Amino acid sequence: MAASETSIGPVNPEPVGAVQRRPAAGPWVTAFRKLVRDKAAMAALLVFVLIVIGCSFAPYYASNVAHTFPFSSNLNGKVVINGEEQPVIEESTEGLGLGTTPIGPTWDIHGYFLGADDQGRDVLARMLYGGLNSLWIASASTIICLLFAAVLGVTAGFFGGMIDAVLSRILDVIWAFPIFLLAISLSIVLINSSIEIGPIVIRAGSLWLPIFIIGIVYVPYIARPIRGQVLSLKNSEFVLAAVGLGVPSHRILWKDILPNVATTLIVFVPLMMALNMVTESALSFLSIGVQPPDASWGTIIQDGQNLLYSRPMVALAPGLAIAVTVMTLNVFGDGVRDALDPRSKLRIGGD
Amino acid sequence: MLNTLIRRLIQMVFVMFGISVIVFLIFFATPGSDPSARIAGRNASPEVLAAVRKDFGFDRPLYVQYGLMMKKLLITFDLTSFQNRGQKVVPQLVQATPVTLSLVIGGAILWVIGGIVVGLAAAATKGSVIDRGLMIIGLIGISMPVFWLGSVLNLITQSRFHDTWMFSWVPALGYKPLLENPWEWFKTMIIPWTSLAILYIGLYGRVLRASLIEANEEDYIRTARSKGLTETRILFRHALRTSLITFVTLFGLDFGALVGGGALLTEVVFGLQGVGKLTYDSLKSLDLPVILASVIYASFFVVGANFVVDMAYAILDPRVRGR
Amino acid sequence: MKKSHWLGISAGALCMAAAIFTGTSSADAQDHRGGTMRLVAVGAGGTIDPQVNYTLQYWQLYQGLYDGLLNFKKGTGAEGFKVVPDIAEDMPQVADDGKTLIFKIRKGIKFSNGQELTTKDVVASFQRIFKVSSPTAGGFYSGIVGADKCLADAASCTLEGGVVADEAANTVTIHLTQPDAEIYYKLAVPHAVILPADSPTKDVGTAPLPGTGAYTIESYDPNKQLKIVRNPHFKEWSKDAQPDGYPDVVVMDFGLTDEAEVTAVANDQADWAFDPPPADRLAEIGTKYKDQVHVTPLTAMWYAPMNVNIPPFNNEKARQAVSYAIDRNAAVKLFGGKVLAQPVCQILPPGFPGNEPYCPFTKNPGGGKYNGPDMEMAKKLMEESGQKGQPVTVISEDSAVSKAVGTYLQSVLNELGFKAELKPISSNIQFTYIQNTNNKVQISVTQWYQDYPAASDFLNILFGCDSFHEGSDSSINIAGICDKEIDGKMKAALKLAVTDEAGANKMWAEIDKAMTDKAAAAILFTPKHVDFVSKRLGNFQFNPQYYFMVYQAWVQ
Repeated sequence: MAASETSIGPVNPEPVGAVQRRPAAGPWVTAFRKLVRDKAAMAALLVFVLIVIGCSFAPYYASNVAHTFPFSSNLNGKVVINGEEQPVIEESTEGLGLGTTPIGPTWDIHGYFLGADDQGRDVLARMLYGGLNSLWIASASTIICLLFAAVLGVTAGFFGGMIDAVLSRILDVIWAFPIFLLAISLSIVLINSSIEIGPIVIRAGSLWLPIFIIGIVYVPYIARPIRGQVLSLKNSEFVLAAVGLGVPSHRILWKDILPNVATTLIVFVPLMMALNMVTESALSFLSIGVQPPDASWGTIIQDGQNLLYSRPMVALAPGLAIAVTVMTLNVFGDGVRDALDPRSKLRIGGD
Repeated sequence: MLNTLIRRLIQMVFVMFGISVIVFLIFFATPGSDPSARIAGRNASPEVLAAVRKDFGFDRPLYVQYGLMMKKLLITFDLTSFQNRGQKVVPQLVQATPVTLSLVIGGAILWVIGGIVVGLAAAATKGSVIDRGLMIIGLIGISMPVFWLGSVLNLITQSRFHDTWMFSWVPALGYKPLLENPWEWFKTMIIPWTSLAILYIGLYGRVLRASLIEANEEDYIRTARSKGLTETRILFRHALRTSLITFVTLFGLDFGALVGGGALLTEVVFGLQGVGKLTYDSLKSLDLPVILASVIYASFFVVGANFVVDMAYAILDPRVRGR
Repeated sequence: MKKSHWLGISAGALCMAAAIFTGTSSADAQDHRGGTMRLVAVGAGGTIDPQVNYTLQYWQLYQGLYDGLLNFKKGTGAEGFKVVPDIAEDMPQVADDGKTLIFKIRKGIKFSNGQELTTKDVVASFQRIFKVSSPTAGGFYSGIVGADKCLADAASCTLEGGVVADEAANTVTIHLTQPDAEIYYKLAVPHAVILPADSPTKDVGTAPLPGTGAYTIESYDPNKQLKIVRNPHFKEWSKDAQPDGYPDVVVMDFGLTDEAEVTAVANDQADWAFDPPPADRLAEIGTKYKDQVHVTPLTAMWYAPMNVNIPPFNNEKARQAVSYAIDRNAAVKLFGGKVLAQPVCQILPPGFPGNEPYCPFTKNPGGGKYNGPDMEMAKKLMEESGQKGQPVTVISEDSAVSKAVGTYLQSVLNELGFKAELKPISSNIQFTYIQNTNNKVQISVTQWYQDYPAASDFLNILFGCDSFHEGSDSSINIAGICDKEIDGKMKAALKLAVTDEAGANKMWAEIDKAMTDKAAAAILFTPKHVDFVSKRLGNFQFNPQYYFMVYQAWVQ
């Protein structure tokens, strides 16, 4: 019903036959109500919340259901499958008897559901513990990245001139910077010392390291498209009109530019979450971030690299987890974007 | 136009110089980076170590070492590697460039075409099964770590299914120069191209789809629609051009980074001796001359690519005038 | 491929004809002569200079390229450890209680550039060891008279009084400051090969040097390939020291990952992979390709040195606790299983001269057998040491096996009550990193492969006071232990070996036990070497000093 929606633009004529009128709701409330009605978005949100809850239950699962402590090596352990006792790490007995293989997926929720890794630890238990680490690092770095990117991109695009030149070159330096060299160097430096920046002390296992490194590394990737978008918006009719009307810059920024930029940012959220979780995997190989024996989806992928030919599940499972999580964010993000976009509302008009 | 070019060139030099200084400082701040012992060999006596240190100039102050290294790298071109003694760094880079260019240009063609197709299809059928399906596949592509994807492709094409008709044509890993044997070159590069493209098609398709949907709601599109143009014409002739701004921006960033050596894990897993692999080896052994050279090389391409993209804005969106 | 096959046939025909005329039958050998052997390795092995390079990767290839006064016999098993004359006509005449060695030089040996080898080249080559700052200049050759001057000022090195040539008699005499029981080994390694006198006196890096071997290097690009072809001026003079080889060309291609190497050999795209096969391919090659796999015991060890000069391992009980707690069978599993490694507690490898089986760090010790860890004893020692709760960092390499062993060690240390962390570092850097005391490394994971078959190479080099240099990247006594009493015994054993080898070996056995008890390092296991070769490669032979004898195998 048209009456329950408020549009930002001028008059929404009362439809003939409208019976009741409620006081106009603000744009945020409207957007929220629209979002809640979007079934796909709500389903995606639910799945995401389930993933988070599932991972939080890691300690419970590990001790009460699987009866395992997935942070200590279990090379000589044994597990009971279908009544038979089997070693967790099996020595090859065929041919020349070379090599040892960890047990594969048992599909038994009571232990080694997804099998064991090369230290004999339960992969599913580690994935649950690791999920929170991955989600935390990815979310925090995504937020930092989007924030800095938005500020830099909008500033550069809107103010132009010298400011744009300087900021763009800073973005170039960040993008061309050899972050793997920095990561290797940091990991060696942090073996024996910690970095102190004012009151903040960063130690080797601090998760803020990968969060900031990943967050900053991708800033140009979002800042430059935003800058491009702002350049284009700056010369669009409604902005030119506002300038002509004498509207001060900060209001133009806030009311006209930022909302459009916001929708771009929303599109990037699931993409950046995926890229960040994958980058976290590379950084964990260089000992930045989650330290052994702690786990994250990224470290499990690294562990699985060495088992690719014999136990591909170890590398596959965390990859799938990342993909599913990212997809829920993607669908939810689409819903948020649809809910917030004033123009899509205009087009749908009373949908 | 010329003014802009000159200004950007000067800025480029600043960026390259700045990064090289930072890299140099990071190297010497890293404990265990002193290459004397690694150059001298296992269990070298203290006298031998001292001799090596003096020989290579590691006992001189940092700024002197920096100056010498930059001179050898950019002016006399006789900077040699720490790891492979006597091997000149600049010819190494030059030799490695065609390999990286082969990989990146081929992959780029695939992912640009793929991204445009996916983006158009998804935007045109917004909300349908096709749209959702394409987005899901695309996101799976982004979620795969590069090295893992390459290893799995190798596992399938070189190992498990190598003897089947499907993959028996796949040649041994390692680069085959284009000029020596174009057909072998092509066969060797197909799988690496696919590996690179899978990663980016999903991302670019998604971004393009979003831009297209936004553009669809712009006033000038409504005008075109009200003028009676067909949806297809609108999509291709009007919406696509302005929607490509974000697409092109990202492409400039990715292409610039990849040509500069960003595809290092892909090159490593497929045995391609490109700039990326050089960078990777130099990082593993903390080989400062090669690291410096590859970083400067990379920054040149990054800054250059961004410059070209800025120029391209004017063509794509008439509302943005060239700066 | 066709072309070299044709050459092989015609060369074979010529040889057959020659064989018929000279009366020696080498018909079988001629069938296999020729072809190109393709080797693969992850990366190049560094400098191509034989007097500087210290990697097994190139020492293996140098066997067919260069010769010294002496050489290791090209044989398998114990035969391969014997030293035989090479450039020298015979083993040297010994005088002055072993301080003077007189070598008669063979005539008619030509370098690959056509030059004839003379005594001048021998003298110049020994001087060159010091001029190019060979890593063993101080370690192996400091006993030569005049070496001290050379170590102090390499550029003006003359070794006056140390290496003296007599052109008329065609002999070279080496004078030592004191007798050295291991001098023959030291003269047999590639750092002591004879090169042309006019060779550059700096590390040549990537420019190959001419040699006297059956083969010579044609080209070297460390990013792509090392190509070795037959030496046109070579005539076999000693089958034991420098036999002729089968392949016409040997190439080593660089750039594949270790997984890709295994796949390449399996697909017959390469003949042999230098790098050890990754753990997840072992089962595959051990079953599907078992006829192409060779497993050979080595005199080497994987061990975890503990820094005895800083906490917590400056406490001997803490070190012993660690050695009791580690399950060496678990470490063996991580390396690839029982077939590929053998758990050990002591320093000298099994079968090594001077080895008497000894294993105290196990349940029910006795007879030298390993019976599994003794966690009870370990925990008791931990309590007594008072080191519980101490933070410890394990430094391993970032390669798969080293990281896995490191992760396991971390787990054991945590179980003992330490607060353990693991730091994997790039393999290219880790070895020098753990040697430098400035890095305060407490415990690390590393390996040691013998330089030559002498007990001192394990005990004296790794645990002797002379091998410990503070603040240096080159301090191979990683544990930093310096026990004056044991050190004195080691020096005495070295001296005794000159006259009484058996007696010396008995002394080394005692030293081995004493040093093992000190637990300066937790010895983990003795690895075996896995060689995966292609279907077409035949006559695989393993020399215990230089491993796979590349040129003695054939590819057709």
